[in-house]
Amino acid sequence: MRMKNIAWYALFTFPLLFIFTTVVIIPFVIGIAYSFIEWDGIPANPKVFVGFENYVALFSDQRFLASAGITALFTLLSLIAVNVLGLLFSLMVTSGLKTSNAARTMLFMPNLIGGLILGYIWQFIFTDAFKMIGETTGWSGFFFNWLLDPQYALIALVVVFTWQMAGYTMVIYIAGIQGIPDDVLEAAWVDGANAWQRLTRIKFPLLMPSFTICLFLSLSGAFKIYDVNLSLTNGGPVNKTEMFAMNIFNEIFGYGNYGLGQAKAIVFFLIVALITLTQVILTKRREVQM
Amino acid sequence: MVKGKKLLVLLAVVAIIALVAACSGGNKGTANEGKLAKISIFQSKVEIAEQLEALAQQYTKETGNEVEVWGSVGDAYITQLQAKLTANQGPSIFSIGYGSEAETFKSYYYDLSNEPYVKDIAPNMALEIDGKVVGVPYGVEGFGLVYNKNLVNPADVRDLDSFTALLKSFKDQGKNGFSLSQEAYFLIGHILNTPFALQPDPQDFIEQLNSGKVKMAETKEFQEFARFLEAIREYAVNPMEITYDKQMGDFATGKTAIVHQGNWSYGMLADFGELDFEYGMMPFPLMGNDKIAVGQASNWVINGKAKPEEIEAARAFLNWLFTSETGKNAIVNEFKFVPAMTTIKADNLDPLSQAVYDATQSGDTIPWAMNFFPQGIIVNDLAPAAQEFFLNPGMTGEQFLKKLDEVWANAVK
Repeated sequence: MRMKNIAWYALFTFPLLFIFTTVVIIPFVIGIAYSFIEWDGIPANPKVFVGFENYVALFSDQRFLASAGITALFTLLSLIAVNVLGLLFSLMVTSGLKTSNAARTMLFMPNLIGGLILGYIWQFIFTDAFKMIGETTGWSGFFFNWLLDPQYALIALVVVFTWQMAGYTMVIYIAGIQGIPDDVLEAAWVDGANAWQRLTRIKFPLLMPSFTICLFLSLSGAFKIYDVNLSLTNGGPVNKTEMFAMNIFNEIFGYGNYGLGQAKAIVFFLIVALITLTQVILTKRREVQM
Repeated sequence: MVKGKKLLVLLAVVAIIALVAACSGGNKGTANEGKLAKISIFQSKVEIAEQLEALAQQYTKETGNEVEVWGSVGDAYITQLQAKLTANQGPSIFSIGYGSEAETFKSYYYDLSNEPYVKDIAPNMALEIDGKVVGVPYGVEGFGLVYNKNLVNPADVRDLDSFTALLKSFKDQGKNGFSLSQEAYFLIGHILNTPFALQPDPQDFIEQLNSGKVKMAETKEFQEFARFLEAIREYAVNPMEITYDKQMGDFATGKTAIVHQGNWSYGMLADFGELDFEYGMMPFPLMGNDKIAVGQASNWVINGKAKPEEIEAARAFLNWLFTSETGKNAIVNEFKFVPAMTTIKADNLDPLSQAVYDATQSGDTIPWAMNFFPQGIIVNDLAPAAQEFFLNPGMTGEQFLKKLDEVWANAVK
């Protein structure tokens, strides 16, 4: 009987383990090795071992540091926008609206479209549609080509990313809200708690597991963003919206610095791991059991 | 019951074995019929993407061999090529430029020296590395100012002053006098070639620039070049708002008088059908320059790291392209290239290619110095600098040149 259990266990685990090892673990280890060499990415050319030189070099790479700043700002803005909107949407569609099912579907829809395509659609909106609205209404202070202005281009990225992710977090928050037992809310109501108190004192603490998941997803998603970045701005104008992932790709395949690019990727991994783990630990600690 | 299950498993196993056997058997069958391996082509020119696709189908129809044409990606071509080659998923045939670009990927080229069509390549046009012919040129290409003959008289565009005056007068009429477009090569790569090409020895100048002995900001051709760009920024539509499609569309509809483009853009104009004006190509009048920039476009090379049977099939395709009537016809009439093969006749060329062809014949040309720029610099470094110049009206031409010097130094580091 025990043997049989182990066999079943192996049957379901091994294929996944095999795939995970070949496409994640092994490339990751090779990637670490590459970060210590200098190489232009052409197999016939020599790979020279340089120790920690790449790691030293990346801290004096102005473009990389600038890209770190841009990514941090982008992540912060999208984290707020995605979760505030996701939460608002979920409260809205669980409040007993007649159209709540239709609203749910529509709000979730953008998430079903790939980031690349979303980027191209919004590129059209920000460049052509915005310009046209600006010209016809005369509000050209707001409606101009956003993608030509470094600050507005970054905001444009936040808008598109939020558009894509808010519906997804909404679904998770909805599940959380529906999991809150009615008797707790009713008891609070009977005790005289108003709507705001019920929201902040009852719903939010009980929603903590959903916060943990949503914050984690939007945090790591925003940090690793590449597709929307590529199709909406392609890092421009003047490299002012070049995020981490794009900077690494350009270093490796644009400049042909394989080793330096890999070193950046490892640093990038450490940063993302550190920040997301901290966040998960912090929010987990605030989760309450009933 | 248990027996039944076992039988089922046995049947499934038998079925899988039969399937595998059938598949491998099928492969063997086709190989015996004398068909060549399937090859893939990846190349940089967006303009010939559809035509090449059609030619590949024609080839399959004529010979039965299969060719897969991968989508063209424009500015990202070299990046994508490197990614594919490094991953060992490289194409069988790909295109490569001259100079530093060809040098970077030289470990991949198959030696074409003994191919039958090599002797037909026009003198000094083949891509040679270490004494071996490794690439066959697409054709000759040239760029300059493509202008609308109804709106512009070439005699009025001789120098900076007359150029600026022309832009001003178009702006007053509500038209766009001159247009660049936002893609890296069309924004800065091609137009920046002119001040380099006007140096006594462009290649030597680039080497001195690489080693920091000269500065663009201190060279008079570049100083005037910067004033040209200032005029463009002041009196023409911002290039950052213009894509290649829009640029050619506005030119074809008469909204733009002059575009800085090459003869390859004819393919885009042809899509607009019969235009109600004539157009031609004239030199970019930097320092009174009266010659258009002519160079060899990309080269076809065979990926020497591909499987032997794939190389065999790739050789057969190139041979067919350069020697069969269908292939030769496609090069001139479909791709609209000015041929670089002595065996291909260049008659009834389009107006832009004709201008390039004439310039080549008379020798009134300046070279493509940009082929010797450090690899990748146009897309990686020069384009962002140019974007900054066009987006920031406070940046002077002099500051722009200093910025170019700065990014250049950074790129050769």
